[in-house]
Amino acid sequence: MAELSPNPYLRLRRQMFFALLAFGLIPLFAMGLAGFVANRESVETRTRNVIEAMTKNRRATVELFLEETLRQLDLMVHALPIAELSKTSTLANLRDEARRERGAIVDLGLLDDHGKHVAYVGPHDLGNVDYSDQPWFLQVMLRGRYESDVFLGFRQFPHMVMAVKKRELDRDWILRATVDTDLLSALVREGGLESGADVFILNRDGEYQTRYSPEHRLMEKADLGPIPPHSGTRVVELARNGRREFVATTWLRNDEWVLVARQQVPGFPVLLFAHSAVLVVFLFGLFLVPALSYLIARHRLRQVRGLEDERAALYESVAQSQKMAAIGRMAASIAHEINNPLAVIHAQVGVLDDMLTDDASHPSTAAFKERIKKIEAQVDRGRKVTHRLLGFSRRVGPDLESVDVAAALDETIGFLEKETEAEQIQIVRDYDRAAPIIRCNLSQMQQVFLNLVNNAVDAVGQKGELRLAVACAESGVEVTIADNGPGIKPEDMKRVFEPFFSTKTNTPSHSGLGLSICQEIMRNLGGRIAVESAPGVGTTFRLWFPLAGDPGQENHGRSGHKEGEA
Amino acid sequence: MTGLRVLLVDDEVEFLEPTAERLKRRQVECTAVTNGEAALAELARTPFDCAIIDVKMPGMDGLTLLRSVRHDHPRVAVILLTGHASVELGVQGMELGAFEYLMKPVDIDELLDTVRRAAAQKKRA
Repeated sequence: MAELSPNPYLRLRRQMFFALLAFGLIPLFAMGLAGFVANRESVETRTRNVIEAMTKNRRATVELFLEETLRQLDLMVHALPIAELSKTSTLANLRDEARRERGAIVDLGLLDDHGKHVAYVGPHDLGNVDYSDQPWFLQVMLRGRYESDVFLGFRQFPHMVMAVKKRELDRDWILRATVDTDLLSALVREGGLESGADVFILNRDGEYQTRYSPEHRLMEKADLGPIPPHSGTRVVELARNGRREFVATTWLRNDEWVLVARQQVPGFPVLLFAHSAVLVVFLFGLFLVPALSYLIARHRLRQVRGLEDERAALYESVAQSQKMAAIGRMAASIAHEINNPLAVIHAQVGVLDDMLTDDASHPSTAAFKERIKKIEAQVDRGRKVTHRLLGFSRRVGPDLESVDVAAALDETIGFLEKETEAEQIQIVRDYDRAAPIIRCNLSQMQQVFLNLVNNAVDAVGQKGELRLAVACAESGVEVTIADNGPGIKPEDMKRVFEPFFSTKTNTPSHSGLGLSICQEIMRNLGGRIAVESAPGVGTTFRLWFPLAGDPGQENHGRSGHKEGEA
Repeated sequence: MTGLRVLLVDDEVEFLEPTAERLKRRQVECTAVTNGEAALAELARTPFDCAIIDVKMPGMDGLTLLRSVRHDHPRVAVILLTGHASVELGVQGMELGAFEYLMKPVDIDELLDTVRRAAAQKKRA
């Protein structure tokens, strides 16, 4: 059979599954990629904006802090007379008060215009230090104020120096303060940072001025390279340790310091799933596509398999028809080969008969004549067989004509009148005269009748009874040909429609083709044939002819076959 | 003699000879030939009442011969004989103007009867 083994089906299903999977996943990943690109842009823009805003904000904070500290000193130096400021106790009070407010001033000292301490409060003994040649001293004497860079100084903690000048009693006086810049670091970092972010201050040489993580070692150079002074806030994209990052810079304190904020650009997973909707759709698709691919592949394969099975069934039925046709052709050629010698025998025996008729003087003439009659009878039997075989081979196209089924049946019975009369067979007719005229091939129909009635006549033997019925049936006409013969044995019932099957082994005139011919014809006519039999009671053949013959309907024939087997 | 002149055409000699003999015995003047060409030659030479022609013959087949006879000798009735139990060929032969169609093996009395009817019909015509 043409049916595929299960393996090719599985392979086909697998191929179909992967093809569908690919077709489903490609758009899904395309969507994911598009989402990724779109997300990257929006995330990067957002990151850039955040870092820029943060930089501006921190710059303001830092400037405010420095401004305020300086103003504090200013306030101190101008609010009190030098006589008062020269007292260590006054300075101590001022420092403590400032500490309470901001906590940034570590020590305070009042210097005269020679760079010598007049008074000092602080953790170190700096009372005798001479600052007159220090750059910051010259700066403050010149400009009135001073702010230093951050340095570690004697005590190894980051601090810066601020100084303010005051003129009193015709002399210049300078109030100097050391400011704890850890507070500055804390201020810069105030409010917390996102992960992968960092904020710090560098001086002009690129050295850290703030510290809050081990990475920032105060006074060491940052890994950013020189940052040229610029106005406003600038954001650039850099690569560091294989990661991309945004770096925002802004200069402050007259371009002395630069505030730097850096933020790593979010990585692939963050970008891909930044929008939960994209993530949901993507994951949903990731499960849905294979599931649907599997289901569709399975469904399609079932359809394919169904078609394949149908095709196989069709093939089988065609093969069956072809087998029957081949048998028919073979039967025809056999019939021809046998019929010609029969005709010769018949003619030669005829001559013998004539000769005996001419010369009746021979003592054995009567005996010869009797033998000749027997030969002729046997030739006649042979003739009948060959004619029946030839009838089977006759593949006449379905020429449909209007047929009165009862009349056709009666006409067929007419052919067998001699036999039925000789055997004293009683024929009972039960014809429904309301049975419709149908469209059918008359000669084929009659061939079926002839076969069945012949069988019935043979079956019932002398003084038997045949019951013939024609009745209206659903969308057609039903013909019943019943005999009260010996019936068919149950074990033979399945085989009665098989070609060359015959139970009449004692009557060699039967080819065993009769019923298979009938079935073939009924199939061609779009009708059905069925048989019922009870041993000892008789056999009944039921024929159903459609109102309008449909020679293409193999199915009728097939169902008829099944009924025949029942 | 009935005075009936019949031409018997069949390629099977074993059938042809005994059949011709039986017809002659029944007072039918019978000429037997084994092919179509010989048949046409005989027809051209002698007037026949009837021609009995086998449908299946090598060379010129029965139906071709039938056409020629119908065309050239319309007064000769044609009876077709065949071992081929094909209604179609018979019907075809009848349409072509054959008088009757008989199947082999054929009963001699039936053949004789058909010949007589054919000849009688031709005479009436």
